[in-house]
Amino acid sequence: MKFLQQIFPALALGGLVLILTACAQMKAIPGLPASHPEALVAGQQVSCAECHEDQQKGTLKAFDAFSHTPSFVKNHRFYASSDDRLCSICHKSSFCNDCHTNQVEMKPSIKYGNRPDREMPHRGNFMTLHKIEGKLDPASCYRCHGRGNNERCITCHR
Amino acid sequence: MKKICCRFICSASLFAFPLAAAAADISVDSSTIFRFESRDISGAKKQTLLPATKFLGLDVDKLADGNLSLHFNGWGRYDLADKSFNNEKTGGSFTYGYLQYRLNAANADIRAGRLFVHEGIVNEQIDGVSVRTDLPLGFGFSAFGGANVHTRHLADENSDGKGDGNFGGRINYRYKGMLELGASGQYETNAPTLINHITVNHRLVGGDVWLSPHKSVELMGHTSYNTETRGVAEHTYLLNVKPLKHLVLTGEFNEHRERNYFYTWVMFSQLRNPSEKSRSLGGSASYEFSKAVEVAADYKHYTREFGNADRYGADLKLSFLDHSVRSGLGYHYLRAGREFAISGSGNPSASYHELRAYAMHDTKTYFASVDVLDFIFNDKINNEKNAWEAQASLGYHFTPALAVSGDFSYGRNPEFTEEIKGLVRLTYNMTFDSKGGKK
Repeated sequence: MKFLQQIFPALALGGLVLILTACAQMKAIPGLPASHPEALVAGQQVSCAECHEDQQKGTLKAFDAFSHTPSFVKNHRFYASSDDRLCSICHKSSFCNDCHTNQVEMKPSIKYGNRPDREMPHRGNFMTLHKIEGKLDPASCYRCHGRGNNERCITCHR
Repeated sequence: MKKICCRFICSASLFAFPLAAAAADISVDSSTIFRFESRDISGAKKQTLLPATKFLGLDVDKLADGNLSLHFNGWGRYDLADKSFNNEKTGGSFTYGYLQYRLNAANADIRAGRLFVHEGIVNEQIDGVSVRTDLPLGFGFSAFGGANVHTRHLADENSDGKGDGNFGGRINYRYKGMLELGASGQYETNAPTLINHITVNHRLVGGDVWLSPHKSVELMGHTSYNTETRGVAEHTYLLNVKPLKHLVLTGEFNEHRERNYFYTWVMFSQLRNPSEKSRSLGGSASYEFSKAVEVAADYKHYTREFGNADRYGADLKLSFLDHSVRSGLGYHYLRAGREFAISGSGNPSASYHELRAYAMHDTKTYFASVDVLDFIFNDKINNEKNAWEAQASLGYHFTPALAVSGDFSYGRNPEFTEEIKGLVRLTYNMTFDSKGGKK
């Protein structure tokens, strides 16, 4: 620990030099556009590869990886954790925050009751089901209700 | 605070319109929802609930030199009849509100205000600053810091159990379009002392990976480590294989060690078994026959110290008339034993069937949908064999941006003998710009 404290200033200085060097070269690194140039059809399972199959550049992941297959929709958390800048080309932050937020007023499936095609959690009488699902896979509860969005949980779970 | 929030959102919604007329790229999303509910529970006073909720989102792009943008989202509620939740007639939440400056190169941006951070193992909401950029040689960097956004106090406590400050970030390395390795972490300042619960600090580090040696194979996931309990908290990994153009095969593995993963889940601290871990292993297959027909089947096996369970099923999605008609059918079965049954119900099984069918039609003028969902329990819960709900929705577009719609649902379930709900929804989603826009 003492050794780390002694070399910390040197490491910090080295890091700063590296960052400044990197910043000087940043202009040459390509960036994603702020938004998608064409409007996408609501309700369609987007297939990115339809238009972008051979346009992979630099360190960009293949666009087909982001095609909205059932697996992608179900497991989108894996993509969002490292590529949310790509998500934000087509989706506003509010699209995510309909479900992933700190405090919801009503179930997303009620807010969007006119869109049954959208994958929304806790449809129907989840009040009964959560007593089973919570035992089955508590981690799935914790992800959304562990450290936020738990105002209604607190009412009963003391 | 809630009253202020509620009034702020209402006022901001009025400001949105003149602002929209003055700036180049502005997007306004406004929904006002009036819900109707009648509660008649034996032994309690009959209640009529008429909460009116306003959701408002505002995005202003191309400010200043064109790279600056402003984003806001929040909601406010006022109960027109009996109180719908807790002891207050009003409620509200300032979900996010931040300024973002994007650089044209290196995917670099800086955000300041109330924002969400999703970086590797980190998922937080802060009032603070976040910066991120790609770096030369395939490296990338992000960092955030600020004040935690606190939630409602825990029962019989004077805080939500979270520390006031929250800092962290992620570094990553990418090799071509084949590999990404990331390391991320967060440090929350000391948690406040709690009266009836154990005080715990939220501090995690972790690593994530994305590997695609061939365009038809993808492996991704992350592992997190709790530096407070000094143990692995979570492993979660996903494998996608696309042997044919429209066929996707998926395998997933998840393991959570309760003491380490749920360490800061103060609400359930007394129910946790420190030595327990939960694990799930599953797979799925989906095939797109055409743009109009898609099928998917899935299986998942859950393992806990006290028992195991399986869930399997299939879904069918159909669309017609250039996606203006969309429908779906689904069936799933959960096989779960007495260990997972609802406490005190005396049921020998927690197994149930889940059936769902929906259809919707969206035109330039009207839109309509029906959605039926039924859970059929192997053993009755509160003397009910089913929990079912049928919902119908009908709406009309006055203009492409302005629409009014109404939902009505009826159901029976173990919680309520009858559950009747209705709402009226007024939506205004307008984008004042020339590009494709965002959803």
